[in-house]
Amino acid sequence: MPDTFNSDISLKVSNVTKRFGDFTAVEDLSFDVRAGRVFGFLGPNGAGKTTTIRMIVGITAPDEGSISLFGEPVSYATQNRIGYLPEERGLYKKMKVVDQLKYFAELKGVSRSEADKKIDFWLDRMGLGEWKKAKTTDLSKGMQQKIQFISTVLHDPDLLILDEPFSGLDPVNVEFMIDVLSEFRTQQKTVIFSTHLMSTAERLCHDIILINKSRKVVGGSLREVKESYGTNLIAFRGSNADSVIANRSLVDRVVSHADEQELHLAAGVDTQAVLRAMIESGANVMKFEITEPSLNDIFIEKVTGAANGTLTAPVEKNL
Amino acid sequence: MKKFLAVVKHEYKKVVLKWSFLIGTLMLPTLAIVFTFVPMIIFSLRGEPTRIAVYDPSGKILPRLEKNLSPDRMVEKAKKAAADSLTNIDASQEEKMRNQAAQFTQSFVLSEFSASGTVEEARASLIGSIMNGTIDAYLIVPANVADTNAAFEFRSRKGGDFVSNDTLRDALNDAVRSQRLAEANISEDRLSELSAPANLDAKGIDETGEEKSAEGIMIASFVIGLMTYITLAIYGQQILGAVVEEKETRIAEILFSSARPFELMMGKLVGVGLAGLTQLGIWVGTVAILLGFLALQSDMSMIMSSVPAITPLMVLYFLIFFLLGFFIYASIFALIGSMVTTVQEGGQFAFPPIMIMLAAFYFCFAVIRDPNSTVSFWATIAPFMAPITMPVRILAEMPPLWQIALSIVVNVAAIAALVWLTARVYRVGMLMYGKRATIPEVWKWIRQP
Repeated sequence: MPDTFNSDISLKVSNVTKRFGDFTAVEDLSFDVRAGRVFGFLGPNGAGKTTTIRMIVGITAPDEGSISLFGEPVSYATQNRIGYLPEERGLYKKMKVVDQLKYFAELKGVSRSEADKKIDFWLDRMGLGEWKKAKTTDLSKGMQQKIQFISTVLHDPDLLILDEPFSGLDPVNVEFMIDVLSEFRTQQKTVIFSTHLMSTAERLCHDIILINKSRKVVGGSLREVKESYGTNLIAFRGSNADSVIANRSLVDRVVSHADEQELHLAAGVDTQAVLRAMIESGANVMKFEITEPSLNDIFIEKVTGAANGTLTAPVEKNL
Repeated sequence: MKKFLAVVKHEYKKVVLKWSFLIGTLMLPTLAIVFTFVPMIIFSLRGEPTRIAVYDPSGKILPRLEKNLSPDRMVEKAKKAAADSLTNIDASQEEKMRNQAAQFTQSFVLSEFSASGTVEEARASLIGSIMNGTIDAYLIVPANVADTNAAFEFRSRKGGDFVSNDTLRDALNDAVRSQRLAEANISEDRLSELSAPANLDAKGIDETGEEKSAEGIMIASFVIGLMTYITLAIYGQQILGAVVEEKETRIAEILFSSARPFELMMGKLVGVGLAGLTQLGIWVGTVAILLGFLALQSDMSMIMSSVPAITPLMVLYFLIFFLLGFFIYASIFALIGSMVTTVQEGGQFAFPPIMIMLAAFYFCFAVIRDPNSTVSFWATIAPFMAPITMPVRILAEMPPLWQIALSIVVNVAAIAALVWLTARVYRVGMLMYGKRATIPEVWKWIRQP
């Protein structure tokens, strides 16, 4: 691993286009991923995420544009530096855990003795030491998930691409995996993290890109992206405020959560004016907090284009 | 190259280290042994001797019948039968034949039944004896043996014992014939001189002018054709299953992110092919050991003499054609596997290649009958067919070298085309989930750069 700064670019995607017949899966997509950062690759299904990832991993080639990894154009040679956990995961059903891991390691060019060592280390690390000789069919879904993860890190990749890495894991294991991932970050390794779960992305990612319908919608550091969305969002809990909430000249959109509401103010409306209006209308205000937009909000707004109307369903359900 | 070898090793171990491989490998030799020896053992197990009451009013047939069923006479007959296939019989074999003959004769106990009444009365009494179990069968000899229309009546409780029935029929025929000859004043020696069969010594001649047995060639050709067919069908399905598994479980995506699709596909073909060769090697080895063992048993030299001579060159050709066949059908099955989504779906698509194999197998019969006919020529040159038919032809009669070379060239070209085609479909098809590819789609994948 060469000495790198946080700002060093490990992956550069430049003006990439990929078509399948008449269908354009990815159009003129450009972004940089910096070493030692967690990069969130976000977008709804069918946005072109998997196609883009496949091009980065070298499974398919772009029709136009270029992708370079650590300054080298992506090719079969760069595959050994990438660890890829696809969204659609699979293991050989009737093969022993250790045998599959050895095979996957060998395919990444890891020597036999090295692979043995790494496999033991990672199985212990994941608490699966005793399952070494078990067959896939004997493992729970969460265990299979972890085995799959091990197979992506055995060759000590510099770039880790994880597509929905937490699906199928219980909350305890999700925390555990997040710990493992943060270790990668401290080793100056780059993680590309593709997900639908905006809350997880918000927690883990330094930088994000949101793509929709084959194109980039928004990108940059998490902070930049959020700040560009302004501060016209209010977390509200209380009663008798319906008249104010329903006033479209003040509140543009309402998202209801279990015990509170998220009020998206109309353009140019002062937050204090809204609070005043509520109190004057006799509302019982228990919580009134100016918050920054969540990634979820940005996602909904950008993907569904729902700038008006009331959205009450959690966004994950729609995806 | 390192990754390619890793794939080869992985695929090889995946096939060979499975129970089904062990069972499949043991099954064929076991079946061969069972089919060879079990009938022999069963027929040599003889039940209780059959007690036959002979009603012979003329008194002329019974003594001759008893004589014909005597051990000495049986040995003589067996010797005569064996003389066709054996040039010399040593003492130990004669000994064995005598024992065998003794076994046969022991299974008949003849007794005379004499009654003064009519035939009908005698029959009723004999049936009564069968019913109360004092005898097992009866034979009623007609009064006038010389009359060719006269019927011998044999009724037995053991009607299905065809081995005994045959022995009895032969002995009776001989007895009646010699009786008739005696009545016509012709000596038996004179008759056997007159009716000695023409000695047709039918054998093939191989390219070095050596003689070879026609029957042995037919059986060996059939066996080799069948074995190639079965092995190709089994390993084709194996490839299909392996490809579909990687597609179905989405392992393909991980594999494709680690190695070139072409490496993965070829590694699979080579790995499974080596597994097939391993199995074939075990079988050929078993047969060789079995033949060697039989060769040591002197009384099996009959069989040995009809096993055609297989030269190392032939073995080399068999190997080449097996590999040609394997790569042709394996790439077809890999192609099918990367188009479909489940093994069941693949099974429907596997029909055409299986039909071609079966057709090739049927052409083997034409090739065995006339290895040099036009049909045989084309059947052993044609791609898809040659891997099954050519070994049969080589065994039946070594074709000219240029024909073998032409066949190899044609089939290698077919493999090159198929591998190219399969590789193109494989790299796209393996990442397509959810639905079976249509033919226009596949055509598009093939044309993609």
